[in-house]
Amino acid sequence: MSFDGFPPFISAQLHYLVNHFPERIKVEQVLSGGKTYAGGLDRFTLLIPYCLDYIKWDIIYNAEFPLAPPDVIFGPEDEDFHPLHMTGSVGEGDLKFQNILSDWNHKDPTRLLALIQELRDRYVAYQKKRVGEVDDDRLKFEISTICSREGIEMQISSGAEKPEEVKFAVPLMDMNINKMVHGCPWRHPQKIYLQVIYPVGKKYASTPSPPRLKLMSTTELRALFSIEDVKLPSWLDGMCMAEYLPHLEESLQKQVVEAVSLIDIRRRFIESLAPLFGRPLEADPVFCRKATFLASSGSFVFLVHLLISTQFPKQQPALMLQSSQHISPQGIPKKSPLLSEYPWSPRWETSQMAERIFDFLADESLNFKRFCSESQPQH
Amino acid sequence: MDDLVLHKLAISGPTLASMIQRLSSSPADVDGLLFGHITRIAPSTLPDDAAQTSPDSHLVATISGFLCFPSLLSFYDSLGRLSSTTHLNHKPLIGWFSSRRKTPLRPSMREFSVTHSLSSTPNLSLPIQDSDSNSLFAPSIFLLFTTPLTDQIIQTNQYRAFHFQASRPCFNPLSIDVVNIGPAFRGHYGSFSPASALPFLNCELRSLTPMTVDRNEETLIGIKQTEKDQSLLDTCAEGMQVGRLSRLIGPEAISYTSGLEDLYEKMLLKTESLVRLVEASSAKVVEQENHNRKLRYKVARSVGVE
Repeated sequence: MSFDGFPPFISAQLHYLVNHFPERIKVEQVLSGGKTYAGGLDRFTLLIPYCLDYIKWDIIYNAEFPLAPPDVIFGPEDEDFHPLHMTGSVGEGDLKFQNILSDWNHKDPTRLLALIQELRDRYVAYQKKRVGEVDDDRLKFEISTICSREGIEMQISSGAEKPEEVKFAVPLMDMNINKMVHGCPWRHPQKIYLQVIYPVGKKYASTPSPPRLKLMSTTELRALFSIEDVKLPSWLDGMCMAEYLPHLEESLQKQVVEAVSLIDIRRRFIESLAPLFGRPLEADPVFCRKATFLASSGSFVFLVHLLISTQFPKQQPALMLQSSQHISPQGIPKKSPLLSEYPWSPRWETSQMAERIFDFLADESLNFKRFCSESQPQH
Repeated sequence: MDDLVLHKLAISGPTLASMIQRLSSSPADVDGLLFGHITRIAPSTLPDDAAQTSPDSHLVATISGFLCFPSLLSFYDSLGRLSSTTHLNHKPLIGWFSSRRKTPLRPSMREFSVTHSLSSTPNLSLPIQDSDSNSLFAPSIFLLFTTPLTDQIIQTNQYRAFHFQASRPCFNPLSIDVVNIGPAFRGHYGSFSPASALPFLNCELRSLTPMTVDRNEETLIGIKQTEKDQSLLDTCAEGMQVGRLSRLIGPEAISYTSGLEDLYEKMLLKTESLVRLVEASSAKVVEQENHNRKLRYKVARSVGVE
């Protein structure tokens, strides 16, 4: 992400923030507060991940006054969030926070990150306090049992039409998934969260309705493990999070370990293709989800792309052929549709899997060649 | 401390217009102070509505003037604490305003802090006019000016007023009444009173014979007193001799009208020369501001530590 148009002191701090924030932070709506654009861009909106969603904060610098620290405008529903006047909780953190602002050094690129992190920590405390004030017995019980867990974030959401709800984002499993993958390219630690949304109980309701549950994960985890494939255990009546979570975590742990072991299985499969197809042109060495081989049928030379899902070998790889000799009018090489219907059994040996794919492609390549030459415009 | 509830904020059309003009011609964000007064007006209710509970009389804040600082962090620091309250001791201080382009129309973190500091500093409160009680009003009005986030072909200025409630603490929205000269203006006539009045001068009613006049001019105390009175008069009129004032009273006041007209003429002359003084000093201020801005550009353009 390039930050053109910012004066150097702002772009240095913004760069540092985006590159070093523990989770992915987004920047949008970049504007200039000056009468003309001569001073440069100096205000923007930060989308800060919180509770499996984003909170939008507007950061107001002033290109005309580079020595001053930026000001922050919080979201419209957080009217009561006043980080400079928080009573109780934070303690010595107060002095540290105040020093960030009072000793602002515009030449130090780490300052904005420090400020945003402090503000976010205070926001967590503020939401915790708000949720604690909700008059709902079940919620009060949940908070008292759950809060010892590290990293829980909660948020109250209420709108004009929707009923009041409290959302919890519970990080699951203490395991360091990044370490389990050999040669892991992930920059941020991957985590799985359970999102629990409780409707705030009305006093006259007899039984409280169960919370809505959803598993969410950081995006890069999808290369290894897809949470859509996980079936959540059902929430029994009268259950609470302290009871529900251990079962879920145990089952998830097993699934993640299994997913890691599947990497090797996929690797062996790709290696088994080599005797038949030759060495792959390209292959994903870490997660072994993709491989591309060069093949020929007579004088027709084409590429074979294999897309291997996390459900391999239960689910067969999807194949796609790409011609090296035919180009569409837009300049894109001709490709076949994704082929995933061909004879397959997960119980075959990998060498047999490779042979069967080879045989299938030997036939299919003739169809593909015909498809390519037929749709080629005649000169 | 009981919270005073403001019914609305009144500002005259020309004041608001000149404020907006000042803001939109400044190259960056600005802020400044608001001056005015608080009055208690009794709402008009029909006396035979006995069924209703008697409503409290309304508190109305009126902005009569403003002072715009050309730079940020002018009377406060980056944490929103007031830097020094000595120069804030202008008695009619009722609040402050902030203008920032292309930002949402909500108070920011620092603005909250500044308003909080302003309204909790004890010696800045001012008394409420036309009020029986001795309650004081702390400067707690915040006026926010922004412009829309998207570029507009038509220049648009948005503004919103808030009254800071120190007990919660929070901002309460405040409705603004823009008072322009027109049929409805009569009621507001009294709320825009002049800030400077003619100074009190020593006045003795004696029979003015030529003898008495000479005796006055001879004594040293008399001369000093005359000088003092003359300098007081010179603050609001130019070229008017103090001695002529005494002819406006007593038996010499036959040509009262022309004497008074003369006085007014001299006062206008004084105003004119003051205006020229202000013009010249404004030009100097602008020059200094430009110089400061060039220095700040230099700082802004210097590359940060990598």
